[in-house]
Amino acid sequence: VPTLHTLPGSAPEITEGYIQMFYLSKIEHTLRLPPHLLNLPVNQAIKGELEGLFLDKVIADLGLCISIYDIHSIDGGFITPGDGASTYTVMFRMIMFRPFVGEVIAAKLKESDREGLKLSLGFFDDIHVPEHLLPMPKQFEPESGNSNQGRWIWEFNGDNYPIDAVDEIRFRVHHVTYPSLPVEQEKASKPFAPMIVTGSLDADGLGPISWWV
Amino acid sequence: MKTIPCNPAPKRDKKMQKVKANDGVLTNFEVLNFLRSRGAGKDLTRVIAPIAPSEFKVYDYLEQTAACSQTRGSIISFVGKSKQYKLAEAEILNLINIRPSSVVEIDPIVEECDKRMGEGVEELVEMVLQVLPTPPSQMQSDDQVEFNKDDVREG
Repeated sequence: VPTLHTLPGSAPEITEGYIQMFYLSKIEHTLRLPPHLLNLPVNQAIKGELEGLFLDKVIADLGLCISIYDIHSIDGGFITPGDGASTYTVMFRMIMFRPFVGEVIAAKLKESDREGLKLSLGFFDDIHVPEHLLPMPKQFEPESGNSNQGRWIWEFNGDNYPIDAVDEIRFRVHHVTYPSLPVEQEKASKPFAPMIVTGSLDADGLGPISWWV
Repeated sequence: MKTIPCNPAPKRDKKMQKVKANDGVLTNFEVLNFLRSRGAGKDLTRVIAPIAPSEFKVYDYLEQTAACSQTRGSIISFVGKSKQYKLAEAEILNLINIRPSSVVEIDPIVEECDKRMGEGVEELVEMVLQVLPTPPSQMQSDDQVEFNKDDVREG
């Protein structure tokens, strides 16, 4: 399946640092096929193993693995002595998800508290909009009393524009980080996020789509 | 979401190497098309098609974006017609994925939009509206606009 940049008359060649929300990454990986898979066609067994290994997992600096796109080559099939499984070296491509800084993306509101917003794409949840990247002037309206949960309201031209979970919210990617795995995690701590996208709503055209359309 | 980063594992029989970190970008449409070609849209039970639950989540997201009504032809046409606006490739692909229908929606996508495009941004909006299909969510509001115009004429 040709991708956009290989079609005639399309955009010039991709420069090294340029990534879009979704892109292809070519990987070479060596894996073992357990004996119980030997009755399956090799391609299918290998694709299954690769999917189990990579799908929905984050590779630092490359992003979140979405799908196995294609398999270029499979080498090997040797069985090492004393081992029932055979070893293969596979060259394949994966669809990766990794937004670029400056990219505008549509998301849904997941959480809203004093620290800011948490947005979600359904398949990816770790999008933070810290309160200093919300449009100003702004005000936080707690759910009740001193609650940490509540909604943010943008004040513009004497009108109030609340950020609710009603419609699509467009944010711009501010930066992407890959925290390293903590050595120990306390029981009550938040689940570890291997990739965090920090977004901004602080520009015209960003925020709930109903503000602009 | 997910678990630890896939670093090369210490086990002697598992080894991962990045051969080419960036082997080409994909528009949202191309990813959606890829999932559709594997049967994502056809299996209502979601257990028959060879698609992982995490992939279905990507499918569900993309079906709610402008990509759901786009075609390869309209995207190729859009890329060609964008050349005259001297946009960065990232900006062109972002325009395709978001399919803005007004100047204010284009503003956050094109860096220094005012300075670089001036009045040309209105032409760009027209071009987007003409070349890229209307997403289902926008179709409703477009119809309503038409309805109001007729009212005014008769009144």
